[in-house]
Amino acid sequence: MNSEERSQLIDALIEGDISEADFVRLEAEMLVDAEVRQEYYDRVQVDTLIDVETREQSAGVDSEKIVAFPRRTLWLRTTGIAALLAILATVASVNWFVSRHQNIIATNEVEPTASGYGVVAEHLDAKWASDSASIQRGEILPQGPLVLDAGIVQIDLFSGVALVVEGSANFEILSPMDVRVDSGKIRARVPEQARGFRIHTAAGEVVDLGTEFALDVTPDHADVHVIDGEIEWHPTDADMQHMSKGEALRASNDTATTSPLSHDPSRFIGHEELENTLIRGRSERRQEWLTHSAQLANDPRLLLYYPMSQKGGWNRQLVDLSPHAINGTIVRANRSADRWESENAALDFTAAGSRVRVEIPGEHRSMTLYCWARIDSLDRWYNSLFLTDGHELNEPHWQILKDGRLFFSVKKNDPQVSKGERDKHIYYSPKFWTPAQAGQWFQIATTYDIDARNVTHYINGEIVSREAIAEKWLVETVTIGAASIGNWSEPRYKSADPSFAVRNLNGAIDEFAIFGEALNAEEIRELYEIGKP
Amino acid sequence: MNSADQDTQIVALLTEHQLAIRLYVQSLLPGDHSAHDVAQQANATLWKKREDFEVGTNFKAWAFSVARYEVLNHRKKKARESRRLTFSDEMEDFIAAELPQRVDDLEERQIALRGCMQKLKQTDRELIQHRYLHRTSLAEYAAQIGRTAGSLKVSLFRLRSRLQKCIVHQLNLASSKPGGQQA
Repeated sequence: MNSEERSQLIDALIEGDISEADFVRLEAEMLVDAEVRQEYYDRVQVDTLIDVETREQSAGVDSEKIVAFPRRTLWLRTTGIAALLAILATVASVNWFVSRHQNIIATNEVEPTASGYGVVAEHLDAKWASDSASIQRGEILPQGPLVLDAGIVQIDLFSGVALVVEGSANFEILSPMDVRVDSGKIRARVPEQARGFRIHTAAGEVVDLGTEFALDVTPDHADVHVIDGEIEWHPTDADMQHMSKGEALRASNDTATTSPLSHDPSRFIGHEELENTLIRGRSERRQEWLTHSAQLANDPRLLLYYPMSQKGGWNRQLVDLSPHAINGTIVRANRSADRWESENAALDFTAAGSRVRVEIPGEHRSMTLYCWARIDSLDRWYNSLFLTDGHELNEPHWQILKDGRLFFSVKKNDPQVSKGERDKHIYYSPKFWTPAQAGQWFQIATTYDIDARNVTHYINGEIVSREAIAEKWLVETVTIGAASIGNWSEPRYKSADPSFAVRNLNGAIDEFAIFGEALNAEEIRELYEIGKP
Repeated sequence: MNSADQDTQIVALLTEHQLAIRLYVQSLLPGDHSAHDVAQQANATLWKKREDFEVGTNFKAWAFSVARYEVLNHRKKKARESRRLTFSDEMEDFIAAELPQRVDDLEERQIALRGCMQKLKQTDRELIQHRYLHRTSLAEYAAQIGRTAGSLKVSLFRLRSRLQKCIVHQLNLASSKPGGQQA
């Protein structure tokens, strides 16, 4: 039996249109030949999928044009459930099941959630105690007790309340409307819609009536200053009293006594003052980085270097500051603020089709891919940092998976996919991004080190994973050629097919570099220290 | 885990394995249009016996063993009506061992297939509708559109091959190609 005949017999079998003699012949082949069985599975699979698809479409389910791969569609699950329900209608407790299944759709495909009541809007040299770990700007504050050892933090609660907390402070955000302070200085600005916001202390609690107030809490007492508007002060063991703008008091924890205090808001850093200090600080750090960046541009190991804060802003050329002068072309991407909040100094790739086109000639060995990126969401299967066009032999791909892992590969083979061979090894980092980190800037670096035979992923100057390169997957000569930053261009754009893979990064990049060597951990660490906002 | 939680989990697992169960049943019943109903019967049995399943253990294995049992049941019932060609036990053991390894990306494949089917010509789409949905005989349909049953068979064969290639291509494009065989 030749292979064509075999395929036809398999098809006849699937059609239910095979003679007994042919069936016996075919089965005999399947029993001894794994490849024939594979072909059978392939054909049954496509047959079954067509059948399921046709049924679902005729059931009136909207089908959508699949350009690339959007997230797993919900309807597939819901129609699966609908089909289940149809048969389970014969089973008892259907009502229960229906209500249950609605829950499942709700809970199974839930939007990603982050847990907490507020975010760190700003901070000035904040040092958190180790169990509160390091909390970055833009990050959601974890629940539970928080210990700020030093520095100043502005916290925006989801109720609209803005808190400025000065370290050292021990406190806990109980809800968007309740904060407990055990010690430390805290200043609260409460908008009208958050009236009734409370701060609990051992000496009593403040109930806000639409205002701005500050507390200095020690283990012995709490000082309350009303900066604007009105509050209610509820001492633990005494009657409530109203306090208005310009009033202050000290309430002792033990003796249930209050004593007058001269009103002194200057003891607390105000929101504007903090903001101004931060802006000054950021601008200073940005200046330092600019100086350093100009030096970095002379690093002979650079293959290309794009700080994106270039002047001459709106033209679509991105000037390579490395000696190679490989200028990039900006497609679609909009300008946005960089990691120091300096306007128009980063490229935002959120708009569909956004990318920077580059062409890097030559052959390379080890390399370092380096960038600072702000990730707003990971809603594609693959979220591009840097992808060569198509995916040819010896080409690197650098991107972030939907689940928050970094992905790096260099293509080794052109395998026959149908035989299940792999074309490359993928070096993943652990998950480093969750929706709680949306909007934050990260230093992301990956080194491909042929001499040390390993691939290392770095986030914010720290090694997050390192994996040896197996002999089988080693590519000693890496080529790049035409490539895109922040998206993927597969070669089909040359054909008439207008569909393209959606792989642009939902976020921004403000610095991008490729080095023709693997930087070491110390160097990446230094780049982070100098470059962090 | 309380029983409501357990039920929630079972429904989630059932949902997740719908295509796999369906494919397994179809592979044991090639050419049999009732595979869809048999798979639904397997769903019902899995649901009835959900107490037997320990959450955290291998749902796929359990579901497949129930599905195979339903296939046997189905054959017994149908044996009275018509005699169908069935695989030997040996062959079915192969399928039971090998097929489960190939079902993890079925949803992606179906999504890919959807895109592929949209690119088909109208006449091809109609042929598929006819073959998969209306299930009238090929000879009848051939007469309607002025072709021969034999040529329609060839068309169907090629259509399936094309769609199969297209699925692999889409998967490569969207995931494997830049990402490996899978990511």
